[in-house]
Amino acid sequence: MTTSAIITDKRVEGYISRLDRALASLDPAEKTEILREIRAHIVDSTEHAADRDGTVDRVLRLLGTPEELAERYGTECLFTRASRSFSPWLLLRTSWRWAKLGIKGTMTFLLALFGYTTALALTVTVFMKPFMPSRVGMWIGPRGLNIGVPSHPELMHELLGRWFVPVIAVAAFLFAIGTTQALHWMFRKRAPNAVSPISRTATYGRAAS
Amino acid sequence: MAINSNGDRGQNWEAQLRKGCLEMAILASLWKSRLYGLEILRALSENSQLEVAEGTLYPILSRLKVEGLLQSEWVEAEAGHPRKYYWLTAPGRRRAREMAGTWHEFAAKLAVLVEPVVGGKSQ
Repeated sequence: MTTSAIITDKRVEGYISRLDRALASLDPAEKTEILREIRAHIVDSTEHAADRDGTVDRVLRLLGTPEELAERYGTECLFTRASRSFSPWLLLRTSWRWAKLGIKGTMTFLLALFGYTTALALTVTVFMKPFMPSRVGMWIGPRGLNIGVPSHPELMHELLGRWFVPVIAVAAFLFAIGTTQALHWMFRKRAPNAVSPISRTATYGRAAS
Repeated sequence: MAINSNGDRGQNWEAQLRKGCLEMAILASLWKSRLYGLEILRALSENSQLEVAEGTLYPILSRLKVEGLLQSEWVEAEAGHPRKYYWLTAPGRRRAREMAGTWHEFAAKLAVLVEPVVGGKSQ
């Protein structure tokens, strides 16, 4: 093996190991599958090339940097998975990623944040109620409605009494489900290829200039 | 300046158009036979003006598989290393047919509309 062939192979190995690191958030089986496919692609596209060094350069450029490629894998599949997932964490992460791409994403992220925070806050009050039965409640007073522990309960009137736990638990559940459904709808409505494709001609053009 | 901004807009429009057709073109390329990534790229560059880069194609293939439109399998090739072959599932064939139908109708109607424009240019 010539020195240039060794350097070329090292570059390919370097690319694959950077991709491996960049794909860290994916499930291991999926990651192995991607690395195997990208490696097969590089081998297939370069093995019979006369100028192997130059061809490897071109193929790696067309794949984009390992980080860009990993980002594409993440973004392409994230939305599809998120539109079927019931994990608030995944849905929040997905909408945060979308928020970085534009205004619609930002609105979706704010909706997710508001919906899940409200559901969580309501759930916390449900769990606090047995420990502080006289202080936790749905209070109405001069400053309006307050669910939880008001600073001046003497000025306020509690509305739910012993119905507090079931009513607020149902409300928390409805908030969580409603937010999830709304997010699923937003993710499904989103065009599947929101990430612009890399164009071969643009890539060649950039390389030539 | 004005020419430049028009040029950019034209390019952007073309990019959007290509982007919108990509999924249909990938599904259509798999209509007749199982192909691996590089063959799909070649099919697209030979039979369309899509010229997709590999960095775009592989993540889309992965999504189409997650969506259940494609299925894949590693096949030990004569080349000495395995290749990942893709083919259309039943929902994938349905989706390809629907997209191709919509495209056909859309293109035929638009062709009538733009015909005088194209004709005018050539005169």
